[in-house]
Amino acid sequence: MREKALYLIGVLAVVLMAYNLAEIAAQPSEALFYIPLAGVAGLAAVTALVAGIAFLRTRNFQFDALAVAATEVGLAFLAAGIVCGCFLTHAEGGRWWSWDARLTAALVCWLLYATYLMLRHAVQEPSQRAAFAAVWSVFAFLDVPLVVATIAWWKPAAGMRMDWTPSRLLNLLALAMVGTLLTVVRMRQEEARRELDSLRRVTHAI
Amino acid sequence: MSAVAVDGVWKFYGDYPALRDIRLEAAPGTCLALIGRNGAGKTTLLRIIAGFSRPGRGHIRIFGGEPRDTETRRKMGFIGHGISVYDELSALENLTLYGKLYGLTDPARSAREWLERTGLARVANGLVREFSRGMRQRLAVARAFLHEPEVLLLDEPFTALDDKAIAVLQRLLREALASGKTVVMSTHQLREALELASHVALLARGQVAFHGPCTPEMVADPGYVYARYGEG
Amino acid sequence: MRFFRQVWVVTVKDLRAELRTKEAINSSLAFALVILLMFSFAFDPLADTTREISGGLLWIVFAFAGTLVLNRSFARELPNDCLDGLIAAPISGSALFLGKACANFLLVMAVQLVSLPVFGVFYSVPWTKQFPELLLVLVLGTWGLTVVGTVSSALTVNIRLRELMLPMLTYPIMFPALLGAMELTADLVTGSPIGADKAGFLKMMIGFDVIYTAVSLLLVETILVG
Repeated sequence: MREKALYLIGVLAVVLMAYNLAEIAAQPSEALFYIPLAGVAGLAAVTALVAGIAFLRTRNFQFDALAVAATEVGLAFLAAGIVCGCFLTHAEGGRWWSWDARLTAALVCWLLYATYLMLRHAVQEPSQRAAFAAVWSVFAFLDVPLVVATIAWWKPAAGMRMDWTPSRLLNLLALAMVGTLLTVVRMRQEEARRELDSLRRVTHAI
Repeated sequence: MSAVAVDGVWKFYGDYPALRDIRLEAAPGTCLALIGRNGAGKTTLLRIIAGFSRPGRGHIRIFGGEPRDTETRRKMGFIGHGISVYDELSALENLTLYGKLYGLTDPARSAREWLERTGLARVANGLVREFSRGMRQRLAVARAFLHEPEVLLLDEPFTALDDKAIAVLQRLLREALASGKTVVMSTHQLREALELASHVALLARGQVAFHGPCTPEMVADPGYVYARYGEG
Repeated sequence: MRFFRQVWVVTVKDLRAELRTKEAINSSLAFALVILLMFSFAFDPLADTTREISGGLLWIVFAFAGTLVLNRSFARELPNDCLDGLIAAPISGSALFLGKACANFLLVMAVQLVSLPVFGVFYSVPWTKQFPELLLVLVLGTWGLTVVGTVSSALTVNIRLRELMLPMLTYPIMFPALLGAMELTADLVTGSPIGADKAGFLKMMIGFDVIYTAVSLLLVETILVG
């Protein structure tokens, strides 16, 4: 049943993106994608934060699985967004990186959440890893507005415009659906990994 | 009210339960010896009682209070695997530091008093870095007893102690028990522990296999509990 | 009040232990001077253009040298399981954290205040002209670095690659504060006051410090006990 729901979401996402096909053909497609991609990354960050706090309150490992899944998906989408942005920059001016305020802020935020994953990899014990990760996702999330504001001041000419046209919003919805799909798949994998880990400990104990 | 109450405590590492539904009690003035094979969960349980980590499920109550409560921690003393004193400071500085942390009215005087009682008065101003092993262990004992805790939690206290340190620790524990303090100690050294213990709990694979008073048979043959209740 | 007395006890303990061995502060100072020298080779120290950016370079020196001090912060509690003794003591996690943060702050400030005149000499900048404002920026930036670094120290205390992980955790979070500090210091060190367009950075640094101090005090117990 759950699989069928996931497939449905995937199909809907493709349909929505196909709806934009005409516009994609007309103008540089990167422009249609890179802001929605960043938008999905933002949603992923919020999800990770809420999941982390929920873990700290309930100690339910499903929330931890959600937190890591959302962060990984968010990082992937943000990386894609930054790459799209690079292509757009190249198309517009010839350089691959122009220190555009939005792209720079996106890169810093990407690094921020990459440290979250590094921290997770470095802590072996699962409960401690989940607790530390939850704490760190709070730190990272609070930094995002500070990063955006500071970089906006640093490069005041460029500014932090996020133009949301209807087609971009549609893409946002479609990409959010794809993101949700990937998050659920990743969560399943995380739960399987946890079960394996506990089985391994049981065999060692015997 | 019991001094130490472990109520339905579980500890998970991920999904793996290292401790399962532990229910134990220690009445004030008693000495509970926690025995079990390596990996049974003794250190894990003791550290949860002492407030170093949280249980996945269940509660610990020390005289009705939470171990993470500062007021409750004032009544607790802990000796773990490490001595928890600073190499770069002197014995006196270490004990004065802990005296201040525990809010004693005259930390320096209590520090000197306990250096006397553990036979370290002569080296009060020596740096711990230069102490012999036995001296370091006696300083650890002084640190744990300094604030006259109501509940003493000891993790394998007799391991790696020399004869003088064992004698000091046994004397101090007897005095503490005689004055109504409570002791919970995990141990491999069954003989030294069972001489002091009034109660025994056997942990096997994260569960309580036996919990009851310490009988003369147990003191006579420490392997008795393992044979009867454990995996032998 | 008891809270602040406990903070004081922890701060004094850390400072006394550090001043007795001077490991962290010596290596931090040496490292700062080495990097300052290396920057002088990389960027011509007498050129006007370099003088304009030198404030930024200074904060790179401070950030790197500060990490050496911050690494020791919780790592010094590892031998003999001293961290257990502190966690078992009837002080809150926040008091322990704040005590360590204050000690770290004083140590890092000491390294910075020694490096500053050396920097001034190497780059021939009039750093004393706007000294009160410069000191303010130094204090704000260092407190932010200290708070985030002390939290990272607590997180990485038992991790294998601690020396590598601590900078990797601290610097991305520090981005806004470091950027602000660099922008402000670049002006102040050359003797010009903080322009109206850069006043926002100052407010942002204060905000950063307040937010991260508050969050750290709230969450440090979770880090220490789980």
